[in-house]
Amino acid sequence: MNWVTIVWSMTASACLTLALMHGFIWFRQREAWASLLFALVAVATAAIAGFELAMMRAATPASFGSILKWMHVPAWVVVVALVGFVRLYLRAGRPWLAWTICGVRTLSLLLDFLFAPNLNYREITGLRHIHFLGESVAVAEGVSNHWMLVGQASFLLLLIFVADAMVTVWRRGDRRRALVVGGSVVFFVTVATGEATLVLWEVVRWPVIGSLPFLGIVAAMVYELSRDALRATQLARELQASEARMSLAANASGLRLWEWDIIRDELWATDRTRTHSGPAQFERRGFNQFLQSLHPDDREPISHALAKSMNGDGEFEGEYRLRLPNGAVRWMVSRGRAEFNGDGKPVRIRGVSLDITGRREAEVALRESEARFRTMADTAPVLIWMAGTDKLCTFFNKTWLDFTGRSLEQELGNGWAEGVCRKDFDPCLETYTSAFDARRRFTMEYRLLRHDGEYRWILDTGVPRFATDGTFLGYIGSCVDISDRKQSELEIAQQRNELAHLSRVTMLGELSGSLAHELNQPLTAILSNAQAAQRFLAHDDADLNEVREILKDIVAEDKRGGEIIRRLRLLLKKGEAQQQPLDVNEIVQEVLKLVRSDLVNHGVATQVELAPGLPAVSADRVQVQQVLLNLVMNACDAMSGSPATDHILIVRSRADNGGDVHISIADHGTGIAPDNLEKVFEPFFTTKAQGMGLGLSVCRTIITAHGGKLWATNNPDRGATFHVTLPIATETHS
Amino acid sequence: MSNIRPTVFVVDDDPAVLKGLSRLLRSAGLTTETFPSSQDFLNHYLPNTPGCLVLDVAMPGLNGLELQKALGAKGSAVPIIFLTGHGDIPMSVQAMKRGAADFLTKPVNDNELLNAIRTAIEKDRVARHARTEVAEIQQRLATLTPREHEVLEHVISGQLNKQVAADLGIVEKTIKVHRARVMEKMQAQSLVDLVRLAEKAGVGKM
Repeated sequence: MNWVTIVWSMTASACLTLALMHGFIWFRQREAWASLLFALVAVATAAIAGFELAMMRAATPASFGSILKWMHVPAWVVVVALVGFVRLYLRAGRPWLAWTICGVRTLSLLLDFLFAPNLNYREITGLRHIHFLGESVAVAEGVSNHWMLVGQASFLLLLIFVADAMVTVWRRGDRRRALVVGGSVVFFVTVATGEATLVLWEVVRWPVIGSLPFLGIVAAMVYELSRDALRATQLARELQASEARMSLAANASGLRLWEWDIIRDELWATDRTRTHSGPAQFERRGFNQFLQSLHPDDREPISHALAKSMNGDGEFEGEYRLRLPNGAVRWMVSRGRAEFNGDGKPVRIRGVSLDITGRREAEVALRESEARFRTMADTAPVLIWMAGTDKLCTFFNKTWLDFTGRSLEQELGNGWAEGVCRKDFDPCLETYTSAFDARRRFTMEYRLLRHDGEYRWILDTGVPRFATDGTFLGYIGSCVDISDRKQSELEIAQQRNELAHLSRVTMLGELSGSLAHELNQPLTAILSNAQAAQRFLAHDDADLNEVREILKDIVAEDKRGGEIIRRLRLLLKKGEAQQQPLDVNEIVQEVLKLVRSDLVNHGVATQVELAPGLPAVSADRVQVQQVLLNLVMNACDAMSGSPATDHILIVRSRADNGGDVHISIADHGTGIAPDNLEKVFEPFFTTKAQGMGLGLSVCRTIITAHGGKLWATNNPDRGATFHVTLPIATETHS
Repeated sequence: MSNIRPTVFVVDDDPAVLKGLSRLLRSAGLTTETFPSSQDFLNHYLPNTPGCLVLDVAMPGLNGLELQKALGAKGSAVPIIFLTGHGDIPMSVQAMKRGAADFLTKPVNDNELLNAIRTAIEKDRVARHARTEVAEIQQRLATLTPREHEVLEHVISGQLNKQVAADLGIVEKTIKVHRARVMEKMQAQSLVDLVRLAEKAGVGKM
């Protein structure tokens, strides 16, 4: 063994080993064209090394020439493969130059086989043995062939091509790759070509050792490819990590990843049940299998959507029901995108799907609840409306629309207000707005135009709506047509007023004697004064001061009489009851003035205990006077049978803690039989010889209509007490 | 005694009416005294004062009719003119039965009231005068012996002396002496005069 054998054998075997490895890589990964080209370069380099070794050991000039001829084949492979490698791997170099190189090199190969013994020599005259690396090796002696320049030109062009590609890659920014691949190719091709040129033109006596520089190129190439392999591994690891992250994210958000390989009809999907932890696990199924797992109604639309995405822009979206093996049905939504190959044929669709069962169920429940509400609202006999937070109405039920005879569009917003009677509009708006701003419940009454053109009284009740978290949502309200009720209420009120009036007139009739006497007092005073004045003036020495005093008194007495008449007229007047804030004590005093004579005639002493500063009550003045008058007169009558010294009437007033004002009228009469305490308020119940027995029943009707109470109790000692309560007036009460 | 000016008492619970009435009476030259209630009047009234009472019927406390009753019980004979707001017939009958001087309705006209007052004052004056005369005669009667009293009774019944002597069982002469003594004690000028005096004093009435 010697160095030449060792070096060239090792070169060849190293190249073959690398070629084998990358050939295998290409075989497993057909897209790895760079590996194939590298394998070709390596195999060719190994072949060149073999041929060179054979040349150095050649026995005759003929065998030397023949070996050299065949060595052009691997050389052609190296050049073409290098050009391809630069184009494919570096993605650089001018294509026309590449084709030119391949052409020139092929031409040189053709010339090689045209000439004998080969392209390099016209004739090999003999072999000379020289010492090389401590061994005797054969070198040729002969006439060089000038056509050899064609082959050398191809190498020159290769140098230019690679240098140009190197510049492109450098400029692209991939400087390391430009230097390693481009630089080594340029350097080693230069070395190989230069050495071969010198040897073949017989400038130096030296064997052809092109395989060694080519080995350098192979080394540079394998270095780059190994780096790529390393990077690919790194990327694979990163990809795995990223995929794990993604599937974790997908899993966390309930997403399933899927991919349908259309060509192989393989549908891959992460199995949600198995991806709760760790990287995505895929399960594989055929598309039909998948289709079978869908709800029958959804199969057609989903197939259609997929077909559409494959034939169109590639986007896919669909919702479907998935039947799980355990029989459960889940609602899914899927989105994906189709990928196409170079021919525009769909290759696969990738996408994600999401379980939206919960959302769908909530939607269905919501829709159902909505439908239920609408059915209820539309069939309800009441008018229903809803308003948003902006006070504008957003809904009216069918009953409302049927009532007004208008369309929903007409009523929405503020449209409904067009139907409200002008007179009621402002107070309504006021109630609505203030209640709305305070988020308070409200009720209001107004007249609303019915479809037949008649205004009907409506009782409208609105309540604020809140979400579970307390967010204000608006108002919902219902209305009832209360026209008939209102009418009958009006009639009842009228009847009550009439009855009250009748009862009042009757009562005043009973009182007429006393009232006449009451009126007589001022008249008497006036007449006496006036006639006294006449007499004084008839005297010559009339005292004018006296006359002046008399006139003053006459005026005062006249006013007193007028006041009595005014009070009487008020009581006799037949009018609608008018609620207004009243001072109960003032009314008590007025009543006592009216009935004073009657009390005197009955020999009744009055004791008045009125609490000062009582709150005002809301009531009709005349009707309250009537009730008190009636009770006082009853008290007088009750005492007419008992000894005159005991005729005492006690009138009290006080504020109740329940928000009422309490008036009591106590007598020292015979009292009421316990069985009759309630009966006395029944119509036509009477214990008196004269009288219809309507007084107390009318009184109770009046007080009840005022929202108060009237009842009777017996006193512990003797006599009875009648109690009246009236509610305190509130500001908002209308 | 009869020289004292008569006073008109006015009782009414209404101060305005009271004031008006008293002015009217003063304008007619009458002396008046006013009281706001029956009780007030009772507390201040002196029965010796001549005059009359103008009284409102309807008053708190003691009313007009009750006051009349109370005065009657005290033996007062003051004439009462009632004033009432409304002419209640049962009430007026009751009042008149008890000797009311008049019963007038409010508002009362001045002449009507003043006439009634004048009549009542006159009546009072006469009554007072009559009461004084009777008292004098009775004093004279008291000086008679029982026998003289018997003789008086027989004489005024129109019997002759002979008839009286027969009835009493004594001689006619003695009767004549008794009769002269009676005439003297009674200060009678004649038999007619004696009969008039005896009548006023209520003698001989069974």
